[in-house]
Amino acid sequence: MIASARLALLALLTALLLSACVSPAWDDHDYALKAGKTAESAVSAVRFARSAVAYRDRMTGPYAEVVLTEAVQDLSSVNDQFGGVQPPSDASDRIRDEVLRLTEKAESEVEDLLIQERRDGVKDPKAAARELDRLASELSDFAEKHK
Amino acid sequence: MKKLIAVTLGILTAFGGFVDIGDLVANAVVGSRFGMSLAWVVVVGIIGICVFAEMSGRIAAVSQRPVFDLVRERMGPRAGLVNLGASFFINVLTLAAEIGGAALALELVTGLNYLLWVPPVALVAWLVMWRVKFETMERVFGLAGLALVVFLVALWQLGPDWGELTTQLVRPPQDEGVPTYLYYAIALLGGAMTPYEVFFFSSGGVEEKWTRKDLVTARANVFVGFPLGGVLSLAIAACAATAFMPVEAEPDSLGQMVLPVAEGLGKIGLGLVILGVFAATFGATLETALSSGYSLSQYFGWQWGKYVVPGRAARFHVTVLASVIVATALILTTIDPIKVTEYSLVFSAAALPLTYLPVLMIANDPDYMGDKVNGRFSNVLGSFYMVLLLVVALAAIPLMLATKAGQ
Repeated sequence: MIASARLALLALLTALLLSACVSPAWDDHDYALKAGKTAESAVSAVRFARSAVAYRDRMTGPYAEVVLTEAVQDLSSVNDQFGGVQPPSDASDRIRDEVLRLTEKAESEVEDLLIQERRDGVKDPKAAARELDRLASELSDFAEKHK
Repeated sequence: MKKLIAVTLGILTAFGGFVDIGDLVANAVVGSRFGMSLAWVVVVGIIGICVFAEMSGRIAAVSQRPVFDLVRERMGPRAGLVNLGASFFINVLTLAAEIGGAALALELVTGLNYLLWVPPVALVAWLVMWRVKFETMERVFGLAGLALVVFLVALWQLGPDWGELTTQLVRPPQDEGVPTYLYYAIALLGGAMTPYEVFFFSSGGVEEKWTRKDLVTARANVFVGFPLGGVLSLAIAACAATAFMPVEAEPDSLGQMVLPVAEGLGKIGLGLVILGVFAATFGATLETALSSGYSLSQYFGWQWGKYVVPGRAARFHVTVLASVIVATALILTTIDPIKVTEYSLVFSAAALPLTYLPVLMIANDPDYMGDKVNGRFSNVLGSFYMVLLLVVALAAIPLMLATKAGQ
């Protein structure tokens, strides 16, 4: 009974580890799908940052800061994870450049907004929200193209 | 009049105490990805928890003994040990998630990193369990959890397209695969029927010295309080479906999950929702920690409970303290509490038959229940749920692997 309980625990832990693994890209198609998923994750982070900026007057300072910080962390993790996947060919290199240009731009944009928020608040919330909208649309188009 | 107040208070406590970090995370994520197309799972989960919580409350009231106390006696020490192992592991995982959730709520108020709040939350939780009376503890956090009603008000204020939300009920999004849909269905069911709820409910009945006379109160708590809590779960999902789904945003943090309330109701709503989240997760921290103590003590036949002085239930209190320390250490490894929650939901779902089969068996045993054994309706529903839970248990881990935990 104890041996079977140990086996069950081992199986659970293995399942947990396997489900958290990032698989490599097997070919160009797989790489493009991963790029699409990366863009999709970035859209989500940008949208939350946009909400924090657009609805800033409806939130407390610490809360807005937490939401922006999380958006920066999400974008940074998206960039790190996708940057770690080896592109299988030259064609995939182009996809890599395209998606990383967008996601890195998003990360730097949200990071700037977080710095402003921590100082005296976002200087021009309307313009910032517009810019984040534009970025989210580009990322969304990219994700749609590579589904 | 006194009875009516007690029943109302019990219902409100069950209502406010129903939602925990699991319900919050599962409903917000599902709402943002699947709209309201998985609302039926919440309904199935609520009916299921009502059926089995009523049975376990009845067992406690009639036999004056909690469910786990009877599991070993009725099913033997070996089967009881498997049951204990599974439920204890899930309890501690859920406890870690709840401590993390309460710390995250404090981060939203103060801006200080949640890891700084984890030790104080654990310490205060332990002090409350040590010093505060069972009934007071349950009532205070259950009633404060009612602040989560702001999700309903925020939904109204966000002005959703009600027609679209209704359409989503029967039309899942086309771009999500069937395995992912089923994976999240299982997570939602795990959230609605979390095993600790039953242990806590039946042990709580013994703590509060329920007798047959209290069956009405117990049933009112279950049949009115829990479904109202289910309405809150649906409101959380509907808020996410309204605010996040159209813009393809998927929340993966507590701060993001409460964003629709801030958008809809501003700073007051935000304050209330954070209060509600804190009360819900802190209350569930107490419930899961105590459930760990209940299950272990009841299996080994140790003196347990808050109704005796701590010195007389030393091993029970040591188990509670050890569970809190292990769960705190797990969260302090910097593992994401939301991820812990997501995994605990799936593991809960995988262990559901182990939790609910003994309840069904004991509720049918005239030796324990006398004339209060299950009626035909309870047995039909109970048997249907056992088949369903068995299928869910078999599918949970394979689906988690196949979908990479719902990615």
